[in-house]
Amino acid sequence: MRILDLALKDLSQIFRDKQSLLFLVAMPIVFTFFMGFAYRNVGGDPNADTRIPLAVVDPEPDAVLNKALLTRLGSSESIRVERMSEADAMDAYRKEDVAGVLVIPVEFSGQIEAGEEAQMKLIADSTSAQGQSLYQLLRVPISQLMSAVEVSREAADIVDASDMSTEQSAAFDLAWSKWSEASKVSLVKIEPAVAEENADWTGGNPYNQSSPGILVMFAIFGLVTSAQILVQEKKSRTLQRLITTNMKPWEIVAGHMLAMFTITFLQTAMLVVFGQWVLKVDYLREPLAVLLVSVTLGLWVASMGLLIGVVAKEEQQVVLYSMIAMFLFSAMGGMWFPLETAGGAFAAIGRAMPSAWAMNGYQNILIRGLGLGSIWMAVGILSMYALFFFVLAVWRFRKMEA
Amino acid sequence: MKAIEVKNLRKSFGDFAAVQDANFGADSGEVLSLLGPNGAGKSTTISMLSGLLAPTGGEASIMGHSVIKEPEAAKKSLGVVPQDIALYPDLSARENLVFWGKMYGLRGAALKQRVDEVLEIIGLADRQKDHVGKFSGGMKRRVNIGAALLHKPEVIIMDEPTVGIDPQSRRHILDNVKELNKQGMTVLYTTHYMEEAAELSDHIAIMDKGRVIAYGTHDELIQMVGEQTRIDITLNTEAEKVLALWQKAEGVSKIDALDGKVTALVDDSNRVLPRLFEAASRVDVRITSVDIQEPNLETVFLHLTGRALRD
Repeated sequence: MRILDLALKDLSQIFRDKQSLLFLVAMPIVFTFFMGFAYRNVGGDPNADTRIPLAVVDPEPDAVLNKALLTRLGSSESIRVERMSEADAMDAYRKEDVAGVLVIPVEFSGQIEAGEEAQMKLIADSTSAQGQSLYQLLRVPISQLMSAVEVSREAADIVDASDMSTEQSAAFDLAWSKWSEASKVSLVKIEPAVAEENADWTGGNPYNQSSPGILVMFAIFGLVTSAQILVQEKKSRTLQRLITTNMKPWEIVAGHMLAMFTITFLQTAMLVVFGQWVLKVDYLREPLAVLLVSVTLGLWVASMGLLIGVVAKEEQQVVLYSMIAMFLFSAMGGMWFPLETAGGAFAAIGRAMPSAWAMNGYQNILIRGLGLGSIWMAVGILSMYALFFFVLAVWRFRKMEA
Repeated sequence: MKAIEVKNLRKSFGDFAAVQDANFGADSGEVLSLLGPNGAGKSTTISMLSGLLAPTGGEASIMGHSVIKEPEAAKKSLGVVPQDIALYPDLSARENLVFWGKMYGLRGAALKQRVDEVLEIIGLADRQKDHVGKFSGGMKRRVNIGAALLHKPEVIIMDEPTVGIDPQSRRHILDNVKELNKQGMTVLYTTHYMEEAAELSDHIAIMDKGRVIAYGTHDELIQMVGEQTRIDITLNTEAEKVLALWQKAEGVSKIDALDGKVTALVDDSNRVLPRLFEAASRVDVRITSVDIQEPNLETVFLHLTGRALRD
């Protein structure tokens, strides 16, 4: 009972301080919006055309083979064709408005149909991903075009037609249409992997990253307020007075930790409700899982706050230690950006952070669409961290008492 | 059974011995003062009695319970008034008392009634809703005392409760101590004001440099000085010029200079004073005032240590 009374006293002191309320309530909401807008811009417009731009220089747009090839390219899901003069095309290439330039030579169609040699020219950076993609994407339809021409010529020879051009044209149409049908089924579509990832990593709602990210970050930053209480207790000698009552040391530690946990959990609950109703982040898809992650997050943060409160001698030290904890655990734990986008060593260290496990728990629910079973590892590791920091804090408290 | 018992109590911080083999005790219902200058070891001693510091050696008990082996039982009988104002300035006087009452295990109607009683005792019933942070030093000290009385402890330890307050508040606190003692409470009172110790105490333990150098009633301690008289002398210059001569003067047993004032312990002031005047004239030092006093606790301290007790 006295543990509860001590916690209630701490909470009453925190809630009377308007500056504390600003930190605990207003700032996390503002930052959630801010980060949400930032992620929205990173993800880009989901309706934007992500096909690879290709300038085509076509001196004979009405020629049969030119028309057939460009119609096929125009229907591609991977290439966006832009017809231009050669000069404009090269200008656009230099400005990187297009990834490559396909130059169809004059008389291309006629020469091919006549069985003569003709060659199209692709100007692209062969060392770039888009350049290589263009080469691969163009190679298939051009090969098929050549194949259809060859098939039509052979067909005309076999039937020994009197009207060669009519027979050859019909055979070409048939072969080309068969290639086109086959292509719809089997042609490999080059996915613009980076753009696709950007569009999807927040699960369609940029606040799916920013809401839990800010939630975890401000849970840690809330220590500035809650750990202060313990330092003020030491400075005002009320902590020493508490020790002169017949309360046991662990009861005193537990009372202060309960207050810190309550503050962290209330702030988390508030941000979950805000995220659910205002930002449409679907926390309630798995309410029990969200509750478990939030409780263990609160326990870890409270035990860390207790340690900071026990170690720090001055209020400024609390601010300093809390800021260090916030920046370290936020940056390395994937609060500001997903660890998947970070480098190998950074991501490996980051994944060991308790904050990363809290994020992992929330993201499993919000972004990866997983259920209760996906958060047990996160809940277990957060609980272990909470126990570690609590034991450390009690050990320091006993040393301080002596 | 003694209410407070201290046997060979020791506390060291590294090589520094803050308390060395302290021995004293107090029967139930008496006021025991620990008297000594700053740094004498008074606060360290009561910190060990109240469970804030673990003794390096020796034993101490409150109402028969060892503070080392049964700290919770000992603390149950104990109220501690710390030297600092150990209160929450952003809570009202009443909220502070309610909180501390709960920490001592009081609840419900009993808590409310006791808080009302304590507010009356400390004379702040009409200011109970005001934040402690807005109180004067004296009023804070009164709430500081009140917080230790809530659970009606059998023993109360007060660590210099009158430091830095106005005479009116000081008087109020001293009257409170007497009243609590009248109600049967055992009081351990630390002070460096000898007049407080003289006014309040049944027994006095004088501490210096970590040791209890004398223990007894006020009269017993005064008798230690014998027939000696204390003389306070003010000079027109630094005392160093004349102090060496006076130390050798016949009839002077102890002499010390502090804050521009010389305090001497002499066998017979009528015979010694002319010698002191003559010695002063020889070195061109003028005596501006002489105050001859009956022996008191200050005289006892001077007698025992050769130093003045004054702060």
